[in-house]
Order: sequence, then structure tokens, then C-alpha cells
Amino acid sequence: MEEEVVVRGEGVWKIYGSGETAVPALQGLDIQIRRGEMVAFMGPSGCGKTTFLNCFSGLDDITRGTVTLEGTNIHAMTDNEKSRYRAKRTGFVFQSYNLLPVLSAVENVEMPLLVAGVTGRESRQKATAILTDLGLGDRLHHRPSELSGGQQQRVSLARALVSRPAIVWADEPTGNLDEEGSKAVTALLRRLNRDYQQTIVVVTHDPEVAAACDRTVHMRDGKVQP
Amino acid sequence: MATSPDPVIVFLLLVLAGVALLSLALALRHRLAFRIAMRNVRRGGVRTAILVLGLLVGTTIICGSQVVGDTVNELSLHYTYIADGLNDESIYNASPNGSYTAFPYTVYAQLEANVSHAPYVAGLAPEYIGLTQVYDLTTSIPQTDLNLIGVNGNQSQQLGNFVTDSGQSISGPPPGQVLLDDQAASMLNASVGDHVRLYGPTPVTTTIGAIVHDDDRGGFLTAGLGIAGNAFVDLPTAQKLQDAPGLVNYISVTNTGSQKTGVGESDTVSAELNASLATIPGASGLKVNETLKGDLANAATSGSSVSTIFFVLGLFSIAAGALLIVGIFVMLAEERKGEMGMLRAVGLTRRELIYGFYFEGLAYSAGSALAGTALGVGVGYGLTYAFSQLLAGQGLTAAAVLGSFTFTQQTLVVSYVAGFLLTLVTVVAASWRASRLNIVRAIRDIPEPPHAVRTYTILAVLGAVLSVLGGLLFATTFQGTSSVSLPLIGGTMLILGVSLVGSRFLLNRWVFSAMGVGFLLWAGVGPLQQAVLGSAHTGGIEVVFVHGITMVTGALVLYIFNAPLVLRGVSALGGGKGKVSPVTRVALAYPSRQPTRTTVNLAIFSLVVFTLVAIATFGATVAANLENTVTDESGGYTFFGFSAAPIPDLPGMIQNNSSLNAYFSEAVPLITGGIYVNGSGFGSPLGDSVYAAPLGQGAASDFYTTNAFPFTATANGWSASQVMAELKANQTVALVDQSFAAATANVGGGAPSGGSHPSVDIGQAVEVRDPLTGNASRVTVIGILTEGVIPGIWLNPALAGRLGYHSETSYFLSVRAGVSASHAAQLAKAAFFPWGLVLFNFADLLSLSINTTLGFIALLQIFVGLGLAVGIAGMGILALRAVVERRREIGMLRASGFTQRMVLKSFFLEYSFITLLGIGIGTVLGLLIVYNLAHSPSAAASGVSTFAIPYWNLLLILLLSYGFAMAAVAVPSIKASRLPPAEAVRALE
Repeated sequence: MEEEVVVRGEGVWKIYGSGETAVPALQGLDIQIRRGEMVAFMGPSGCGKTTFLNCFSGLDDITRGTVTLEGTNIHAMTDNEKSRYRAKRTGFVFQSYNLLPVLSAVENVEMPLLVAGVTGRESRQKATAILTDLGLGDRLHHRPSELSGGQQQRVSLARALVSRPAIVWADEPTGNLDEEGSKAVTALLRRLNRDYQQTIVVVTHDPEVAAACDRTVHMRDGKVQP
Repeated sequence: MATSPDPVIVFLLLVLAGVALLSLALALRHRLAFRIAMRNVRRGGVRTAILVLGLLVGTTIICGSQVVGDTVNELSLHYTYIADGLNDESIYNASPNGSYTAFPYTVYAQLEANVSHAPYVAGLAPEYIGLTQVYDLTTSIPQTDLNLIGVNGNQSQQLGNFVTDSGQSISGPPPGQVLLDDQAASMLNASVGDHVRLYGPTPVTTTIGAIVHDDDRGGFLTAGLGIAGNAFVDLPTAQKLQDAPGLVNYISVTNTGSQKTGVGESDTVSAELNASLATIPGASGLKVNETLKGDLANAATSGSSVSTIFFVLGLFSIAAGALLIVGIFVMLAEERKGEMGMLRAVGLTRRELIYGFYFEGLAYSAGSALAGTALGVGVGYGLTYAFSQLLAGQGLTAAAVLGSFTFTQQTLVVSYVAGFLLTLVTVVAASWRASRLNIVRAIRDIPEPPHAVRTYTILAVLGAVLSVLGGLLFATTFQGTSSVSLPLIGGTMLILGVSLVGSRFLLNRWVFSAMGVGFLLWAGVGPLQQAVLGSAHTGGIEVVFVHGITMVTGALVLYIFNAPLVLRGVSALGGGKGKVSPVTRVALAYPSRQPTRTTVNLAIFSLVVFTLVAIATFGATVAANLENTVTDESGGYTFFGFSAAPIPDLPGMIQNNSSLNAYFSEAVPLITGGIYVNGSGFGSPLGDSVYAAPLGQGAASDFYTTNAFPFTATANGWSASQVMAELKANQTVALVDQSFAAATANVGGGAPSGGSHPSVDIGQAVEVRDPLTGNASRVTVIGILTEGVIPGIWLNPALAGRLGYHSETSYFLSVRAGVSASHAAQLAKAAFFPWGLVLFNFADLLSLSINTTLGFIALLQIFVGLGLAVGIAGMGILALRAVVERRREIGMLRASGFTQRMVLKSFFLEYSFITLLGIGIGTVLGLLIVYNLAHSPSAAASGVSTFAIPYWNLLLILLLSYGFAMAAVAVPSIKASRLPPAEAVRALE
């Protein structure tokens, strides 16, 4: 159904550089992702997967086309509006976790809530709850450097999901993990998608992650392969 | 003839050559490390410029203070040569109150004959020196306080000629004429040819023959307060004026050679003259003084003293600079963790990594020391210029001050080598620390594991050694009169040693927190220190440094081990009720989790602000005590005055003169003279002044009931009025001025000849003797006055008369409320001109001295403020590094919803926290050290009773320190906030 589409891209181009050195990373991408869907984007290195994620999530600007998230043209927003939107409606998971090393696990997780204006007490409760749910109840006050890679990625997931965003963007979430860790995180993503009914967009080249998703979009040279 | 090289310069150049050779050998042996280091130096740009800026501050401070010392030395020499001229030695018999006792001219004639063939004596000139008052009959302007110098031109050719304003050379004052120097001519608005009357026992009317310069021949430079210039007349005129026919009171001796070489033979000439004087009848009491040699030595000491003050206060900035170097190199090492790991992986040893940093540091040190030396010369010139503006008109000219700007070869070499070695040693230490980084842990940001027990055992052993050494130093110095710095350092070492031993057995946080508190209490609580050490210790400017470093270290250690507590408090303030600010959370997380770099920057700001605040507060306290000082020194009177001849019934004359009576409310004549005072521990009798207020003069105020002189100490716990009543009634008691107090006398304060002044205790008996009559008496000291401006001993008037003192030539005068003191002084000086009344306004006298002190303090503040450059550079480097280091984290924050403004705010908040905490620590401790100083026994003895906080000055320091720090972090912070989030989240260092 039309109203279920939360991510819509139409004729999206992203060109780096200009003139003879111009490199088209996305070439007229048309994408639709429905609410509650878990979609994997796959393709060889340099095919434009991460560029797609950055441009469609509003982290980066596009050259041409339109991207609407939950019906709103993200690139028509000002930088501050994009920030506010990200704080309330999206979550991010990165390959290298990108946790703030100077904050503890629970402090990292509650950060998006605090940015969104939630009180300290409520933020702490929600962060603690989701970390406990992810099996990190005994690691709440550990700093990232005191956690394993898999634990750090779970903290990263918790941070992405804690504010119950409409869309979670995950860029190679298992890229830094061993096989066991990779399976655990994939299963977790799937469970969270089901439990919390959140739209999850995963950029990956791990077939097992793709297999766990509702559908897989293959990319090559900045285009979606049929 | 070739001069032999300065051994200090030779030694330092040898040290430099040694370092160069060693470095060359190391470079040849470790070529790869050398090559990498040189590439790293070249990759710099802005960062290299900031690095060099940070590194050169220490050298600049060292060089600047040395150049100031050289210049003050040169200036002192300049004025010494002018003041003494070709007068290498002088022969006179000084009376107890400093005037010269006359002796027969024949003594000179015989001496001249005796030494006429002496190889090093160029010539002798007999002189009569005294004070006179001059009335310019042409301009109708009187002047009461001029030096009178009677000397014959034909007898003083060896002293050189006078030079007139028109450039004409005159051998000496022609008979019937007077020569005035520029200062005297200006005061009298006199011109050549004016008729003037010189006053003395026998007034003389004469003509101004020329107006001459105070140059080599002019001599007797009168930079002293109250002296209006020189009047030169021929010897017979001076003798007539002073009613001293056939007498002289001074013989000027010139050695062979030039002004600068002749002084070298001063010892030989003195011995020869003394031997000759011993054989001449009537020469008893005459003494040969090596005038020029002594004055040159004093000039060198004054240059060295100023240099020391600047250097010691600059030490805080130097320490801050050293900390910055450590910070820079530790950060450089962190920045290059990946490269270091790679280099280790391809086979470079840890030692070669150190060499890499060493070579890099060598290049920075050599360059920054050179730049720092050049900048130091510039800073020295800037300070000299400021001095010239400050001191102009106070006996010195701006042109003379600027003309004295100089720096010696030794200054340049010492500054360069000291700056270079300081930087290099710090770099080597920082490099060693950097090479200790565990590469894997560093890359993965894994915390360093806790130190092994063995480490604490080593620290405990070190602590035990420190405790023993500190204990020994403390035990041998805590009593006595050594510098207070020594027992303070001993106690500090003891606290540190005990803490290190304690860290082996107890939790670090508790042990080192206790150590921090211990440092703060020991150096910061004045009463505690006084209770332990007493008040007999002495100390110079170095005491400020020792106290400052100890207190700042204590505060920093306390912060390091309690940072989470501090941050929790600040977070609570920043977050507001119930709501936690994510900006505050992020901003305050970094300082608490990166203690090394935070502490380095905190220490830098604390040290520099501490010095600035201490100097500013000291200045404010000095100014605030001006009013107290004026009251204490003046006894409530407006003027202290003296006259060349006793004024018969000055109070009555004022009362009967309606215009004077309208201005003056009180007048007290004082019996005055020179006296010898002797007592236990004096060594030899002390020549001093005696004062006694006569009783029962009709119009005179009763000194004993109207004066308001306070006392430092009194007998039997008497009040000031009880002491005065006792002095009035009892012929066996005496009062002494502040220079006799133990606290002042022990530090040489008020010493008449630069030596140590003898001290007396309350109840001590001393012998007083009139040198003219030989009459003596024993008196008991019942009060030590707080004042020191009028030095001397106060006696009962009946006793003074019994001893032989009758001459009333000193006065206290007070003006009525609302009238102009300066106008009153003019009226009184005009009315009592024939007696040569000279008046000193206490308030003017003290404010002039205090204004000079405050100006000097302001210059010190500017000089020390250079240290702020260290703090600014530190902040800039910290912020630059943070942007590079935190790109991914910034990206993540942006992805989490942080706006650009929030990122910017978080950066500013983080650096504001560090800066303001540093400023806070420095301000509190800076205020504390001056508070302790203002409440110390020696301050109380000097009449200091008020501690003043210069709020506006502190606000300025706060704004400048904070403003510059924020300006330094502004560009990196803005850069951080504008990082595109998509690029930032994927950034790899």
C-alpha cells in the first residue's frame, strides 16, 4: 500500500567532483521501502551502497532527484531540521560502532534520547531496559574499550533503537565481527525488527545478513540491478 | 690587546657543541629515525608554527628577563658615571646624621703634597658641600633645597670641565658667579646673567655665570626626593656663605686613566691616601671612600636584582612552557600511533622511536630557541620603553632609559642555550613517555592496565628516600633565619615522600588526595606555616615561586584524583533540574576521561593566572595600604620639614601670620641633631638622627598628645598615648623607628649604608651620645614606631638638652581641612625662606614611591602575561588535535541528531571548563598567597594591615585569559561543527 512507504527515492543522483573528474556514485536511483520492512542492500565494493545510505538517510546531500522519509522531502530540510529529524525518527548502526569512547555503554545509548529532549531519568530507564534486553545488563557502565566487538555493536544497536525510530540505517553492521558475532547481531536485528516493527535498511556484503532480510536490493555502478 | 673570552660563554658553547656532536653521531647511526624525524618537521605548516610558538615562550621569558637586567645595569652605570664623574675616591668625615664635618684646608694641602708623586693619583680637589636656598632676584622665584658645591676651577681640572647648555666648556665656577645645573635653573626659571642671592649663615649675592649639564663633571646628580638641583660656586664663596673660613669638608680624588679604567686602581689609591692621612694633623676622623667602585658595584646589584625578579616570576611561564612541550609531544605521539605501530612492525626498536622524537625535538628546539631569543630581545625593548615612560620625570629621563637599552653577548648565549636545553630535555622526557605507549592498547583505546605492585614498591622506595631528604632539610632549617623556602621545600618533599610510600599500601585516590590537601595546607595556610616555622625566617622573591608551585601542584593533584566528583557537580549545574543536557554530557566527558592532556592545560592556565593574580593583588594591596601607610608614617601630620637655620618660634610666627594661619592648623618644632646609638649586638656605634619635641612652647601643639604615630611594639603592653606620656615625663626612655625592629633589621631594611641595621628589643638599654659634646646617657627602649620615613631615635626633651641638643631645625606641620597642601607649602617656604625651610608632604612622598612600585608591578604583569601565550597555544593545539581525533565521534553525534550549533557548543563548553577551572585555581591561589603575605608578621611590622582584591583587574585577567583561550579554540571548533556527517562517520585517522 502507498501509505506504508517510509523511504522513497526518485531519480536520485549523487555525483562527486565536477567536470572531467566527476564521479557518479548514484545514477538515478528509484527506491521504495515499506514500514516494518527489513531490506538489505548488497553489491561489490564501490557500487554506491554507503553513498545510498548516506544520501537516503539525510547524512549527505544529493545532486539530483528527491528522497522522502515518511512523506517528507529530507533534502528540502535545513541542516538543523535534518538534525532534529534524525534525533527523533532515525537510528544508525555503523561498521566501526562509532561509540563515544569517553561515555559508558548506557551513556552512549541514552544520548539520542537526551538530544530529543527526553529527561535524564526516563532516558536512563529506557537505555538500561534496551541494553538489558540485548544481554548487556551487566555491562551498563563499561566504556567501549572495555567491551568486545560484538558487545560494542550491540550497544550501537541499542543506541539506534532506543528512541524507537521509524527507520534504522545500518552500514555493514557485521563488518568488524567474527562469524559468531555476525550471526548474533543479524539475529538480533531480525528480532528487533519483528519486536519493535521498525524499518531497517542494512547495507552489507554479508549474504547471511541479506538472507535474514525481507528482501535484498542488488546494486552495481550506482544503480539498482533488476 | 685581545680580550680573553667570557668563561660562561665558552662553557655554554662547549655544552652546545657537545649536544651537536652527540646528535650528529646519533643521526649517523640511526639514519632512518633521523630521516623520518626531518620529514615530520617538514610536514608541519600551521601546526609546526603553533609548535614553535609554544616552544619558544620559555626562551623568550629567559631572554627578556636577562635583557631587562642588562638594561637596568647599563642605566645604573650610566647614572653612576654621571653622578660620580671623575670622582673615584672621596675623603670626608660623615657626621651621624649624614652631613659632612668640616676640617682645615691645610689637611688637603698636606695630603696633596704627600701624594703628588703617587703613580695612580691624577689629582685632588678640595670642596665645601652643603645645602643652600637661592632667591632669583630677576625672576623673583625662591628655591630652598639646593646642593651647594664650592670648588675652585683651577684646583679641579682633573675632574674635567663643566659643559654649558650652549656647549661651551668652563673649567669651574668663576669668582663672583654661580653655576646652576639644569634642574636648579628650571626650578628657579633662571637664565644666565640673573642676579641671585644664596642663603646661609652669611648670605651672598652673585650672578648666574652659566647653566651646566649634570654630566661627568656636573656630578652630584640629584635624583633624590626634595633636592632641587645643584649650585656650584668657587670655594671662597662657599666658605663665606657657610661661615667656614679656611675650612673644607670634602676632598675629591681622581685616579689616572679614564673614568672606566681609573677605578681599577681604587684599592691602591685608597690605601695610599689612608696611609698619608694618618700622618696629617687635623685629619682625624677623615676616611677615604671608594665612591665610584662602590657605586658601580651597587649599580650591578640593582641590575641583577631587577633581572632576578623578572626571571623568578617568569619561572611560572617557563614551567607552563615546559608543560606545553610535554603536552605537545605526548599528543604528537598519540596522533602518530598508527605510524609508530607500523614502524615497530617493520622492525624499528623502541629506542629508535625515541631517537626519532629526539631528532624532531632537536630541530624544533634549535629553531624555537633562536626565535625565542630574538623575541626576548624584542620583549626586553618593549619593557625598556615602558620603563622609560614610567620613570621619566622621577629623576631619570626617557631618553637615558631608552639609550641604556642593551643586551650582552652572554645574555644571548645564556638565553639561547638555556632555552634550547630546557626544550630539548623536556622533549626527550616526553619522547621517552611517548615511546612507552603500548601500540596495540593505544590503537584500540584500551585503558592502560593498573600498575604492577613492583611499580608501587619502586615508588615507595623513592618516597622513603624523599622523606628522609625532606625531613633532613626541614629539620636543619625550620629554626633560624634561613630563607623560608628551604623548610618549605623540606616539608613538601616529606609530604610527597610519605604519600609515595602510602601509595604502596593504600588506595591512590585517598593517598594522593591527602597529598594535594597537604600541599595546599602547608604552602597556603599562613598561620600554620608561622606556627611551625616562626617568624624569624627571611626570603626573597623565590619564596613566591616555591609557594606557588607547591600550591598549584596540590590543587591539580586534588583535581586529578577527584575529577569525577568535580564534573558531576558541574554537570548538575549544566543540566538543570531533571533534564540532562547532551551537550554538557559530551563536553564534560572528555576532560574526565583524558586526564593527562586536561591536567597539562589546567596546569598551564593555573600557573600563569596564579602569577598574574598574585602580582595584581599585591599591587592592589600596596595601593590600599597607602592611606594606612601615610597615617602610620606621618603621625597624622601633613608635612615634615627642616630648615638650614633654627626658626625662632615657628608656631608663633604661623599663628601671627594671618595668611599662614588660614592654612596651618598645627606646628610642632623638633630638636634635631646627629647622634651615636650603641647597644648589645650593635658591633659599633650607629650614627643616626635624634629627635625631641620641646615642652611648653606657646603656640606649638603638644606633640605628645596630638601625634598619631602607631607602634609595632611597646613596653608593658602600653598604648601609644601611654608610651608618649612616658617619653614626655621620663628622661631614661627612648623610642626608635621601624628600622630597629627585628623583622625589618634582619632583612637589611632601612640600613643606612646598605648593610644590616642593628635591631633592638623592647626593654633593651642603649647608650646615646652626642658626637659634638661627647655627653652620653643610657636609655631604655619603650616603643618601636611603625614609621620608617623619619629614621632615628626619639628622646625626652630634657635629656636631649642635657646631652647638648638645642637646635630646633625640624618640624611637623598640619594643614586645615579643605585647603591645598601644596599651596600651604609654597606659602610656608616663602615665609620662612631666609631660614631655608624645606617641607615634605608625606602623602606625596609615599604616593610617588608607591606609584613607581605600582608601575613596576604593572610591567611585571605584562611580562608574566606573556605566559598566556603558552596557555593559548596549548588550547589551540588541544582543539586541533581533538578535531582530527574525534571526527567519527562528531559524525556519530551528528547522526544522532546533534546540530552544528550543539557540536560547537560542546567544544566551547569543554574548553571553557578547562580554562575556567585553571583560571579559578590560579585566581584562588594567587589571592591566597598575597593574603598570607599581607597577614605575615613582616607585613604587620611594615604597617600593612589591609588586604585588597583588585576586582576590575581580576575581571580583566579573567576576560583576557578566557577570551584568548576561546579565540584559540574557535577555528578548530567551528571546523568540527561543520564537518559533513557522512564524511565524518567514515573518517579514519
